[in-house]
Amino acid sequence: MESFSILILIFLIIFSISVSIIKNLLASVVVFMVYSLLMAVLWQQLNAPDLAITEAAVGAGVTTLLFVLAIRKVKGDDNEEN
Amino acid sequence: MERDIILKEIGKILIPLVQLFGIYVIINGHLSPGGGFSGGTILGTSLIIMHLIYGENFIKNLYSKKKLILIISISLIFYTLIKGYSFLSTELNLPHPPIGNPGNILSSGFILPLNIAVGLLVASIFYVIFSIFIRDEV
Repeated sequence: MESFSILILIFLIIFSISVSIIKNLLASVVVFMVYSLLMAVLWQQLNAPDLAITEAAVGAGVTTLLFVLAIRKVKGDDNEEN
Repeated sequence: MERDIILKEIGKILIPLVQLFGIYVIINGHLSPGGGFSGGTILGTSLIIMHLIYGENFIKNLYSKKKLILIISISLIFYTLIKGYSFLSTELNLPHPPIGNPGNILSSGFILPLNIAVGLLVASIFYVIFSIFIRDEV
């Protein structure tokens, strides 16, 4: 369990750096959603299943949805290239 | 705008399951991980998915603005009254519901109704946030 948590932590660092590096906004939001999902798995590993449920619902669900809607609103029509 | 038929049929299967899981998390909040906020978030997400798949008019018939405001107000007032009473009743030795056996659904006094109130409130508020976001009104 220890090595699994360390592996997830390494992936969290990689994803959090790549969120700020990626230029495409939609791809950045998707990477951020994967970051939230891995964070939920890590909460479960750290014996906090309550936080894991909330992180999976809020971080991966609602936040991603609001980000995608914000991108759509900022860009106007979704036919343009991203 | 007409949605894809695959999306609608998959939604018919998936949305009841999501809502059932949300209700399960709320009802079992005092026995297992989860509770009012987590289950309410899941329920609110199902409302948002319903809005995105079946359009604005479908959910307006199901869950109109008047009903939304009514549920938010009632659950907020209920929560504040019961929570305040639960603080006062331990201090002043007022009557309170029986504790029951640990592990039963109907146990642990005020926590189950409080969880249900928080769940309804959070689900409605998440839908309100989404609704304000997408078209600047509820």
